[in-house]
Amino acid sequence: MSKDSAHSTATGTDGRSDDTMSHAGPADRALLPTATGAETLAALRALLRGHRLLAVTAVSVLVTGTGIGLLTAPLLGHVVDLVVEQKGSRALTVPLVLLVVVALARGAATAVGSALVARLGETVLAALRERFVERALHLPLERVEEAGSGDLVSRVTGDVSMIAKSVRQALPEFTRSAFTIVLTFVGLAVLDWRFLLAALLAMPVQVLAARWYLRRAAPVYAEHRVATGALQHQLLDSVGGVRTVRAFRLNGLHVDLVEQRSRTAVDLALRGIHVVTGFFSRLNLAEFIGLSGVLVTGFVLVENGSVSIGTATAAALYFHSLFNPVNAALFLLDDAQSAGASLARLVGVSDLAVPADTDGREVPVDGAVKVSSLDYAYVPGRPVLRDVDLEVAGGERIALVGASGAGKTTLAKLIAGVHRPSGGTITLGGADAGELGPAGMRRTVSLISQEIHVFAGPLADDLRLARPEASDDELRAALSKVDALSWVDALPDGLATVVGEGGHRLTVTQAQHLALARLVLADPPIAILDEATADAGSAGARLLETAALKALEGRTGLVVAHRLPQAATADRVVVLDGGRVVETGTHEELVTTGGRYAELWTAWSDSRPGIARRGNEDGD
Amino acid sequence: MPDGGPTGRHVLRGAITDQRRHVVAASLLGMGHQACEALVPVVVGVIIDDAVAKSSTDTLLRWLLVLAVLFLVLSTCYRTGARITEGVGERAAHRLRLDLGARVLDPRGGADADRLPGALTSIATNDARRVGSAVTVLSYGAAALAALAVSAVALLRISVPLGLLVLLGIPPLLWLGHRISGPLERRSETEQERAAHASGVAADLVAGLRVLKGMGAEPAAVSRYRRTSQDSLSAALRAARSRAGHEGAVLALTGVFIAVIGIVGAYLAMDGRISIGELVAAVGLAQFLLGPFQLLTYVNAEFAQGRASARRIAEVLAAPAAVEPGGAALPTPVAGRLRLRGVTLGTLRGIDLDFTPGTLTGVVTRDPAAARDLLLCLARESDPVEGVIELDGVALTGLDPDDVRRAVLVAAHDADLFETSLLDNVRAGKDAGVAELEPALTASAADDVAGLLPDGVDTVLAERGRSLSGGQRQRVALARALAADRPVLVLHDPTTAVDTVTESRIAARLREVRRGRTTVLVTTSPALLAVTDRVVVLDGGTVTANGRHAELVAGDEAYRAAVLA
Repeated sequence: MSKDSAHSTATGTDGRSDDTMSHAGPADRALLPTATGAETLAALRALLRGHRLLAVTAVSVLVTGTGIGLLTAPLLGHVVDLVVEQKGSRALTVPLVLLVVVALARGAATAVGSALVARLGETVLAALRERFVERALHLPLERVEEAGSGDLVSRVTGDVSMIAKSVRQALPEFTRSAFTIVLTFVGLAVLDWRFLLAALLAMPVQVLAARWYLRRAAPVYAEHRVATGALQHQLLDSVGGVRTVRAFRLNGLHVDLVEQRSRTAVDLALRGIHVVTGFFSRLNLAEFIGLSGVLVTGFVLVENGSVSIGTATAAALYFHSLFNPVNAALFLLDDAQSAGASLARLVGVSDLAVPADTDGREVPVDGAVKVSSLDYAYVPGRPVLRDVDLEVAGGERIALVGASGAGKTTLAKLIAGVHRPSGGTITLGGADAGELGPAGMRRTVSLISQEIHVFAGPLADDLRLARPEASDDELRAALSKVDALSWVDALPDGLATVVGEGGHRLTVTQAQHLALARLVLADPPIAILDEATADAGSAGARLLETAALKALEGRTGLVVAHRLPQAATADRVVVLDGGRVVETGTHEELVTTGGRYAELWTAWSDSRPGIARRGNEDGD
Repeated sequence: MPDGGPTGRHVLRGAITDQRRHVVAASLLGMGHQACEALVPVVVGVIIDDAVAKSSTDTLLRWLLVLAVLFLVLSTCYRTGARITEGVGERAAHRLRLDLGARVLDPRGGADADRLPGALTSIATNDARRVGSAVTVLSYGAAALAALAVSAVALLRISVPLGLLVLLGIPPLLWLGHRISGPLERRSETEQERAAHASGVAADLVAGLRVLKGMGAEPAAVSRYRRTSQDSLSAALRAARSRAGHEGAVLALTGVFIAVIGIVGAYLAMDGRISIGELVAAVGLAQFLLGPFQLLTYVNAEFAQGRASARRIAEVLAAPAAVEPGGAALPTPVAGRLRLRGVTLGTLRGIDLDFTPGTLTGVVTRDPAAARDLLLCLARESDPVEGVIELDGVALTGLDPDDVRRAVLVAAHDADLFETSLLDNVRAGKDAGVAELEPALTASAADDVAGLLPDGVDTVLAERGRSLSGGQRQRVALARALAADRPVLVLHDPTTAVDTVTESRIAARLREVRRGRTTVLVTTSPALLAVTDRVVVLDGGTVTANGRHAELVAGDEAYRAAVLA
């Protein structure tokens, strides 16, 4: 009974604070779908279908083990009868041997059964998470962004680990407890059916207590999860920005923020503890009712001669040994509920149709890009691109120039196939982009965006995402092409250095170097670089510009240029303004024409007296 | 206590003594609870003996009443005690969290050196929680000891040999169980860590989704995840097998132990040395006693974890300050004259610099490390190893670092935005209205950024401002730096991600908005350098050139290379 509940309370709430689902998206977001109860069950059945034999074996072994274990009480009852009947100490040998055999057999069966249940649970869990990640990575980016990336992240971390925790901790304990309860009831009925009736007197109280608990616990735990997420978030926000906090003397403000978040989390944890302790003390009442019932029944049945004192003893021992399993099973109902909710959120995404990953009907012949009458709007009625026409020859390098919000990034994303045009067409290498198929599209065009991510793991693995079969020599060649080999070789373990989250921290410049090396490895005929150098600081930016030029050699390049020297060295400059192409031409042409680009160039070269011409000539 | 900082022991002891009354109350209640639990099988034995065997209704009713009272007491004790003790743990963790937050954010710095934000956050959440748990389990430990005492007395009263058998049998039993399960558990833990790896990889891939999509690496990523997931699966299965083996072994041992107690009790009962009811009670107590013993093991483990966590917390709390406050007072009003004499730190080698009040000075260096070191000592995040920096004639080392920052603001290139509205970010804790912030917002072109956001200046930014593009982030950070309106402002590369037209506009307005105050621009951007009064060039850790931007461009080849490449 509650001797166990003491740690259940402590560990239960502890475990919860780990699964932070910090990204509670705004309510008006179109969150990713969540499966209905029926869909979730169907998905679970489908997952279990391949493991029927395993499931049946696991259940049989556990039932056998529990059944053997239940022989202990009647054997002890038998011993009591032997004592009452004064059979002599020799008679005790058989029950002694039997008790030891029962203990050993029960231990063995439990070991095998638990291992089998774990195998079943873990195998299904692995299949589930693999299916989920596959679907998640194939979701259209638009859909993910619509839902807010936090939605997907919280499913992949919070929900998956919630289910894993249930499979690892709750499932084995719950299965064992459930079998123990059911078989103990059977055992009580075998002793005398009236003992079972007496034991069942406790049930209404247990049902009421469980309903009371579930109704109150679930919302408190959910709020507590959100609150611990917010606390963790606040700590990361404040600690991560500590130098800014100090520079602006925001220490007091941020300590207050941490205090508020921590206090909210503590208050909710205490409310959760209040509910759990209330639940267990209600279960104490059920224990008392059941135990008294069994004792009174034993009293009556012994008095009228239906059962022996030994049987009455066995019944009382049976019921006393039920305290822990009943508490455990009812307490785990909450975990089961949370795991069910998490499962529904995973199945909701897993059940989405995956676009067939095939080659399309057409194959690109070269690296030419043709965009005609392209329209695009993120929100209907607010067009970002209007009637854009653009032709790029294979191998040509184009600079896209314009102020923030002119539509440069959107155009880049449309050509890369991240978004679908609202109107107009895009042809890549002479083939309609829509007809290339996902696999064809992947081989044809790569996009390097401002978004920087170093994948956690050995640096070589990060690079191999672009070309899984690449040898170490090919990786080194790609790195050397973008001038990154020297610093990679200087890392503690070279190519094998673990980078990314939890590993060696790379600078922004190094991270973008890796992105360019991946581009070289993927080797698509068309490459799009969007603000790829902007975050690196002025010194890093120049380094990366040189690397980018080398990475683009031999392919069609569309470069979203912030620094004008980048534009000046391009084969052609395309100026966007308000979602339209306003000028196209070489740097010289545009400067001489005296339009928008000339204005930009003047603004830039004004601050560089005597150098404007030179920058132009040197190409650097 | 080395250097006046707390040790792990101090942290843990402090957490306990802070709330000793609550700890004592919870312990007493826990003891009451466990004692009553121990008495339940005793009462069951008495009922079998005196009521069932003797068919006495009166006795039955009397003892059922006793049982009812027992349950009432144990339930109340449990509920109250658990609420108190869990509250104690939560509050202890809360206090430690605040202490850690205050220490890390302290103006003197030092606690954040060599520690990643993630690691510090984990200390403030997980380690603080574990110390809280260690305080919580104290009362559970007391309760378990009480249960042992009550059971021991009950057992010894029934029969001295039987009592001794149970009491002396359980520790070796637990020891044996521990010997069997110890290696299994350790293996299970390492395997579980590997099993957890899969979710880490999945989260990482999803975090890099845009990058994956950009290079069309989804299939490669999926097959990589499959491999990881399968590795994790085999690790998890090995872990589960170990765990299952451990459970089975413990169950078998316990079963054998109870069998032995039952049979020895039966022999004693046959000799008439104990009654049937006493036999029942002895078996029940043997079964029950495993609980308190396991509880003690659990308390011990939690306490060990709590000690390790307390040590980690103490290390942060005791971290030496990066800079020590001096006794001098900040001159009022601050004129804004900065003077560096022979400053040596990191890559800086004896630098002499003068920033006169009200001027706009550019500092150009091609070495990012030199820029970083200069900013560190101007912000008083570090003090120079040699040399002195003076503000209006007062050495910075003589001032409180917080006072220094009252007068001098160093805005880092990668300054962090916080997860609050754009306006609150720019306001940075000040009590200023939109109108007051208007000049800063306009000068940094952050008003254009706000114009593109759904709720304008009231739009809440994502963590670190990630919902904005790099250029937008820089403009908001610049607006914040300008709005702070300090006598001295040091800006590091404030416009690297901003487009050229906007950069020129910012450069033009910057002069205006900082008129009359000292401003230092550490940058190589010609647009910004063009509006400075004077430019200083740092190379190889020393000042190598000094003059107006236009003169340097015209006459200094190295300068041209650094600035106009």
